[in-house]
Amino acid sequence: MSTPALDIQDLVLRYGRTEALHGLSLTVEPGQCYGFFGRNGAGKTTTIKCLLNLLRPQAGSVRVFGLDPRLHEAEVKARLAYVPDFVTFYPWMSVREALDYQASFRPRWNRGLEASLLRQFQLIEDAPTSGLSKGQRTQLALVGAMAAEPELLVLDEPTSGLDPLVRREFIQTVIGAYQDAAPGRRTVFVSTHLISEFEGLIDRFTVLDQGKAILTADADEARSRFRRLRAEFAGEAPPESDFPSAKSVRRQGRTLELIVNGDGDQVLEGLRSRHPVQLASESLTLEEIFLHSVH
Amino acid sequence: MIAHVNFKSGVPVYLQIVQQVKAAAASGSLRTGDALPSVRVLAEELRINRNTAARAYAELEAEGVIETRQGAGCFLKANGTSPLRKAVRSERLAEELDAVIIQAHHLQISDTELTALLAERLEAFRERQGLNGSSRP
Repeated sequence: MSTPALDIQDLVLRYGRTEALHGLSLTVEPGQCYGFFGRNGAGKTTTIKCLLNLLRPQAGSVRVFGLDPRLHEAEVKARLAYVPDFVTFYPWMSVREALDYQASFRPRWNRGLEASLLRQFQLIEDAPTSGLSKGQRTQLALVGAMAAEPELLVLDEPTSGLDPLVRREFIQTVIGAYQDAAPGRRTVFVSTHLISEFEGLIDRFTVLDQGKAILTADADEARSRFRRLRAEFAGEAPPESDFPSAKSVRRQGRTLELIVNGDGDQVLEGLRSRHPVQLASESLTLEEIFLHSVH
Repeated sequence: MIAHVNFKSGVPVYLQIVQQVKAAAASGSLRTGDALPSVRVLAEELRINRNTAARAYAELEAEGVIETRQGAGCFLKANGTSPLRKAVRSERLAEELDAVIIQAHHLQISDTELTALLAERLEAFRERQGLNGSSRP
């Protein structure tokens, strides 16, 4: 077993008397693209700050590449890149200067990749960073993060400021190119609430709610467990109470729509035995799974 | 060659790719020696993770459907070179046929109807093969 890229165990963090994280655990294996899903205020950014030693948890442990960021802050930071949800640069610097400044702290810097990303995002090197829009700031931060060729890329709501076209391109090509350059060794940890955009990209994910992991699963496994069953009957649909194991049941005249988690086949059997005229089953998307699990 | 992935089918994404490549190979739209897109291109086209694309190719290679040539990429292998023994291959197919039979039972399709349907589907498959200009080995 290789050392996890990220290992968080029973993490507790309080801001004064408010507990932001209570007992969060998750493990990210090298090479994975890991989704960290939660509503605003669920504790996503707080968790990420613990990885970077920007916040010190009251209990629990954090290991990045097996290292404690509180004791090995410099090494951890040299091996990862972090793109926060609100990016700021020194306002007197140009795009070029901001990148050079970042590069000066980095053990590696890929000039070719930097140039191609600048072109792709249509960022002008002479432009002052003070004039960049929120989306352009995020893009510039991404250029810096990718050029540094880190082992772990930590993205906090990376697409929230980007326009839809750029978002699509970012997700399709940027993350792909990053991981493709060293398959199996480059890890992405992405926190987002815009889950549908990452549907195909996520290997595994954790849903965070009120400072706790309420669901952790492989994307494929989650999609096969969470299903929507729809049955139409010739007469009145059977009562909701006939399906106590379903996560939710909606009954509209002759149709019954159920959301199931794990026991889909059994519930499907139950529906069949009542002789519906139509019966369909489909998997939920990751976004729907998220919505159903935080309810 | 690979149309799309359906996240709502409940079938693991890598398996959908495996099935689509096999279907393309069986119908003749993909032929022996044809190159498959690289892992990266496939991942970008389908908007999926490269890990998923790589896993699909690894599975296809293990089943003897494709081969990787160092530095050149993945290619469709000649049919009939499955590394699995005939008995194992028959057993695999039997499992899938059982699932179809159970499904037919639930849909109240009689045995005769099922047999007729199988013949009809085989016919349609042969027709597609004919259109793709491949002959039966």
